[in-house]
Amino acid sequence: MNKIGLEVSEELGESTFSTVLDNGLQVFICKKKGFNKKIGLFGTKYGSVVNDFIDITTGERMKVPDGIAHFLEHKLFEKEGANALDLFSKMGVSSNAYTSFDQTVYYFETSEKFEESIEMLVKLIKEPYFTDENVQKEQGIIGQEISMYDDDPSFKVYFNALRAMYQVNPVRIDIAGTIESISHITKDLLYTCYNTFYSPQNMFFIVVGDVDVDETFKIIDKNIKKYESNNFSKEEIKKFIEKEPSEIAQKDITQKMEIYLPQICLGYKLDLANGKDITKNEILVSIISDMYFSKQSDFFEKEYNLGKVNSTIDMQYEGSESFSHVLISTTSTNIDEVEKDILDYVEKIKKEPIDEELFDTIKRKKIGELILSSDSLNISYRRIIDSILNKTNVYLDIEILNNLTSKDVKEFLDKLDENKRVSSKITSK
Amino acid sequence: MKIYKINNDKFKSIYISYNFTMELGNTKALSNNAVLASLMAKTSKKYESQKQIEQYLNLLYGANYDVNIEKYGDLYNLEFRIEFINKKFLPNKEELLNNILEFLYEMIYNPTDWSEANIEREKEFILERINERKDEKLRYGIQKAEELMCKDTPFGTYLYGEENVVKEINKEILKQTYQELIKSCVTIIVSGNLTEYDDIDKKIIDVFGKQDISKKTLAELNYNIKNNYDGKAEEVIEYQDTVQSVLSIGLSVENCNPNDFYALNLYNAILGTTPSSKLFQNVREKASLAYTVRSRFYRFKDIIIIYAGINKDDYKKATELIINQIDDIKEGKITQEEFTSAKDSLMADLLDWKDSKIAMAKMKLSNIISFNDDYLEVDKMREKMSKVTLQDIINVANKISVRKIFVLGGVVNE
Repeated sequence: MNKIGLEVSEELGESTFSTVLDNGLQVFICKKKGFNKKIGLFGTKYGSVVNDFIDITTGERMKVPDGIAHFLEHKLFEKEGANALDLFSKMGVSSNAYTSFDQTVYYFETSEKFEESIEMLVKLIKEPYFTDENVQKEQGIIGQEISMYDDDPSFKVYFNALRAMYQVNPVRIDIAGTIESISHITKDLLYTCYNTFYSPQNMFFIVVGDVDVDETFKIIDKNIKKYESNNFSKEEIKKFIEKEPSEIAQKDITQKMEIYLPQICLGYKLDLANGKDITKNEILVSIISDMYFSKQSDFFEKEYNLGKVNSTIDMQYEGSESFSHVLISTTSTNIDEVEKDILDYVEKIKKEPIDEELFDTIKRKKIGELILSSDSLNISYRRIIDSILNKTNVYLDIEILNNLTSKDVKEFLDKLDENKRVSSKITSK
Repeated sequence: MKIYKINNDKFKSIYISYNFTMELGNTKALSNNAVLASLMAKTSKKYESQKQIEQYLNLLYGANYDVNIEKYGDLYNLEFRIEFINKKFLPNKEELLNNILEFLYEMIYNPTDWSEANIEREKEFILERINERKDEKLRYGIQKAEELMCKDTPFGTYLYGEENVVKEINKEILKQTYQELIKSCVTIIVSGNLTEYDDIDKKIIDVFGKQDISKKTLAELNYNIKNNYDGKAEEVIEYQDTVQSVLSIGLSVENCNPNDFYALNLYNAILGTTPSSKLFQNVREKASLAYTVRSRFYRFKDIIIIYAGINKDDYKKATELIINQIDDIKEGKITQEEFTSAKDSLMADLLDWKDSKIAMAKMKLSNIISFNDDYLEVDKMREKMSKVTLQDIINVANKISVRKIFVLGGVVNE
């Protein structure tokens, strides 16, 4: 066993142990005392934005169809004649998987079958089983998944905003691809992507719960070692993402759907941020959102009293090594006026000095939110995944929050550039 | 006034759930209570707006407060809930409890100024909830099946009520609704880390104990108004211009008794809640007809609703296949594996509840209502679940009939 690192958060009352196995796999164990449930996650730093890369088995550059990372997620969770969800379910364990822009993660949750679940999860991910027939069957199921999203206004308003902001980055394409693009996926392409991106040096294993740390490291190591012969190379994976121009692709996208309540998503495209700044931006934007758009803001109160907005106005940051942006979204039967109000308001708050007292109150609230969030296990593993992708310390967010000043808010607001702003709307037919 | 404490020191916070539970005389009461709840969530005498409420909660380290409306079968439950941090985990061990209780008292017992402007604004808020209900297709498909299954009952009426009733609401109606609310059954559940808070129940009584509330117990309330069904399943189609259609199927359980709870839960798991279930395996995995296909058991209403997102031209095929699964269970075509995995998964779910303050509070209230059992613990429920046999499943399966078939989005004509 290699050297074990330890990071502790007094605020959250939890500790995260980590190590790197000989084959390059990163392993993290977050100890949460008293909880029955144990969560195990096995993931890869590979998501929908990667469709151009060097095939690790041949050394040749490959381009693959949109939606293949998500397709692979579905197929990998299937073994000869059985679905992985079903195999776990037969043990009384719940499991699932998801694909996002920059990661694919498979996980289980169990109270009583922890060791068996680790064994099963490793086995499933390390023993791919793709056939022409099961690829074809999956095209039907994923086709229904794509259709489901086609009828979902929140999903559409979000992806249209990305499409408007980005000219070439694949973040502008739906994670699941299209019914057309997935029709080009074959079992050979799946094996190519699998061999390249499911290589241990590109992957991570995370456990959260009240577990015996040493014992858990050993169980993971033992199970991973069974499959050493499947690995092709320890080299770093080479992927190509076309350089995104700083200009937006188009100013507005409006789509009509069979709905009552229109939705809007405004996007501000930003310059790329490094790992630490991605975390900082996330925290900053959640503070800005609370200061200026939440129910305690004058702006929300005004919009609410005028009957323009009913639910919430949300602002969030999303960033990775290939994209960086802020989204502001809400719903309204008066969507054009709300759009104008928000845009005027953003320009106004950029010019105003920061209300120091408000900043301090919101910071206090955020510290409370962190403590409250530690009553569930989910935040713990999300924080670890972020730290892996951003190459930062696990509890960096808490450190950043404690050191944040109103000057940081001011600087961030100045980055919201009207020339790099897009509007996406869903209106009723 | 009943107070229940659920203590576990793995948590860092405390959740107080203050419930008013009542039978509703008519379905109009849903609309009235929805507007009232919305008004009470956003204003009181002292806090005149959402803004003032939020600003105060920020000072309490972002304590989470909201008003939740929910139906337990035909019973209506209006819940004031607040979650705050145990002083042990705050800088300088700052004590929030007294402020939290005072705040909760203010919100419940010193309600809104009843101004016309506020009332009209909250009516608009509820009207939007009602009008947007068709925007999420799957959710609407399920609700519509609930409505078809339980016509003219509170359960079968939309949680936020009906447009024409909401429009008629005025100050007098709301004030009367408020009077009925505060005289209904009160149940307080405190769940979380109660270390150093042994006397929390006494403190709650000091603040809330003088209220004149219903003498009835929860168990005396009727949570299930029975519907009568005719022989043949009724088919209802609602056309919408969508990519996908939502198919939902309503099943009723006849002559159900409270002890069937465990067998019916297990039946439902075998039919369609886990990836090993018959619906997931046969409709999704083998026939590739759906991505989403599940079933849901309503413990207070003795009904089950199956829902699936399907291609418009697969309507007949999918319906037939789903009904075959129901028939198979009736005939006892359940493998040992299907039975065991469903049971194991329910046993695991029960254990998982212990990791959530809110789930434990909710389970407590549900068990008091349906079992009249104040002290039914998770371990006891697990024990009862473990004793359900294959024959028990076949027995309940034969009390089940398909009653309603609803299709949202339409079907392709043959």
